[in-house]
Amino acid sequence: MSIEIQHVTKIFGDFAALKDVSLTVPAGELVALLGPSGSGKTTLLRIIAGLEVPDQGTVLFDSQDATARSARDRRVGFVFQHYALFRHMTVFENVAFGLRVKPRHERPAAAEIATRVRELLTLVQLERLAERYPSQLSGGQRQRVALARALAVQPKILLLDEPFGALDAKVRQELRRWLRRLHDEIGITSVFVTHDQDEALEVADRVVILHEGCVEQEGSPEQVYEHPATPFVYRFLGNVNLFHGRVEGSQVHLGEFSMEAPAGMGQAATPAVAYARPHLLDIDHQPPSGRPHFQATIAHINAAGAVVKIELTTGSGAIVNVEMPHERYRHLKLRKGIHVFVSVKDMKLFTQAHSTLGGGI
Amino acid sequence: MRKPHVAEPTAVRWGVMAVALVFLILFLVVPLAAVFTEAFRKGVGVYLAALREPDALAAIRLTLLTAVITVPLNLVFGVVAAWAIAKFEFPGKQLLITLIDLPFSVSPVVAGLIYVLLFGRQGWFGPWLTAHHIKMVFAVPGIVLATMFVTCPFVARELIPLMQAQGTDDEEAARVLGASGWQIFWRVTLPNITWGLLYGVILCNARAMGEFGAVSVVSGHIRGQTNTIPLHVEILYNEYHAAAAFAVASLLALLALITLAAKTVVERKARQSLKGFVHEY
Repeated sequence: MSIEIQHVTKIFGDFAALKDVSLTVPAGELVALLGPSGSGKTTLLRIIAGLEVPDQGTVLFDSQDATARSARDRRVGFVFQHYALFRHMTVFENVAFGLRVKPRHERPAAAEIATRVRELLTLVQLERLAERYPSQLSGGQRQRVALARALAVQPKILLLDEPFGALDAKVRQELRRWLRRLHDEIGITSVFVTHDQDEALEVADRVVILHEGCVEQEGSPEQVYEHPATPFVYRFLGNVNLFHGRVEGSQVHLGEFSMEAPAGMGQAATPAVAYARPHLLDIDHQPPSGRPHFQATIAHINAAGAVVKIELTTGSGAIVNVEMPHERYRHLKLRKGIHVFVSVKDMKLFTQAHSTLGGGI
Repeated sequence: MRKPHVAEPTAVRWGVMAVALVFLILFLVVPLAAVFTEAFRKGVGVYLAALREPDALAAIRLTLLTAVITVPLNLVFGVVAAWAIAKFEFPGKQLLITLIDLPFSVSPVVAGLIYVLLFGRQGWFGPWLTAHHIKMVFAVPGIVLATMFVTCPFVARELIPLMQAQGTDDEEAARVLGASGWQIFWRVTLPNITWGLLYGVILCNARAMGEFGAVSVVSGHIRGQTNTIPLHVEILYNEYHAAAAFAVASLLALLALITLAAKTVVERKARQSLKGFVHEY
């Protein structure tokens, strides 16, 4: 089932959680709502579920207006951030709940309920824990019970609020991949909320980035990562180096260095901000020709990890982060305290606050 | 286990414990023991006779009747009020919380007087009630009303913090799964608060049976008709039937002990149910 959000606004007191948000989730896709806390992502999820009513705007399921439909009748599965398992019921009873509360004429027979619950528990690999209580389960197990419970009523849409937020790093990794596989298996339209960009980029088909109640950008993980539409998206999706400066004529002056301004930047002097990811900067002992570059001193080296992370201080005292492969690090024989040249392989230029003008060099 | 450098000197610890213990014995254990000693001073025969006496039986019946009416009503009121306060936002919520506490802050005698003022023969509704041959004050309805007033905070006070701590996630989960309002209440909310509710009911019952001040004002002390156990004890004592007074009083003391035992068990269960909840987070 596809979901369409049209011009939805939601205000709590004097705080606008969502401002005229429009969004389409195609049927069968796994979409991440990504944003920092207070960006309105959970509110949007709760509006889709019918747990909040939008002040303005409509929610369509398969092109039919569902705005006035109650949460009871929307046939959505919802997995709460803290799972909200019924603690006085066993795992089995938790999963069976949605079937047991159906009106009598829709309710399956007891034997059928048992079969369905067993199937779901097998799906989430918890068949042996059916008689346990939630308090006797680990975080990851509770998460899967919550998922099985949500799936029991055969929802048309699955909504997950920070599904991995309360788990430790290792379990989180496993559950992420497991959720992706599960989604591919059952093919249900799914939306999950997260503040973790790695999670969103790894798991989702599409990523919607929210900021202060507005959609900043939506697209595939590659699109939003490679072509961020706004400085916020660039900053939010991974580490970034920031260079403040101004565009003058055909040149961009960025404090430490200058470079050719991309075409179409305009001729008037305008403040500009340039962003470069750490792996798009390079270090060398000689000034490289053909690339914008500047001098800096190595302040700190962290070689533990997949890449070597190097922190440098520029002449004006600014801090720049560079990441490089171990191979190149060993080749250059870098040490703390030496002077080097930092060159820019690629960088994205934004003029003024939210302009999407500009682009890579 | 103990870290020597942070613990108090042994003498201080023993001293503090001794003070607490002596205080408890002097003010709680000794009087309780005295009640039973005095009750049986003239032998078991006198003790049983005092309880079998018709006025005593009537007092016991009236006390039980009052508890049977007020406790369930306060249970319903407590659950509804706590539900409204914990799960919804509405104007006047703070006022409601304050009002629920009112009976705790008002002297029971004043509570009794309010009912006399309202329903007594000279009271606001007095003429109307007399015209319709309804007797409220100096009759059973007045006693029930006064007891209701005094005991109404117990259940609600117990449930409000519990339900606030539990939040609305469980109810929302049930709603999304297709449960109706009734189903949510019976299958999710009520099981979550069972032990807290029972705890409130036990306290409410103890107070309903033991209330003296408010009931004393509205009762009229008509023997065999409007005397509850505490009032009966007072009358016996005033008439120098000490042994009989203590015999009847021993019933209330016994009720206190049973309440204490039940309270301990339920309290432990209630803590566990909240712990299970906190652990979940």
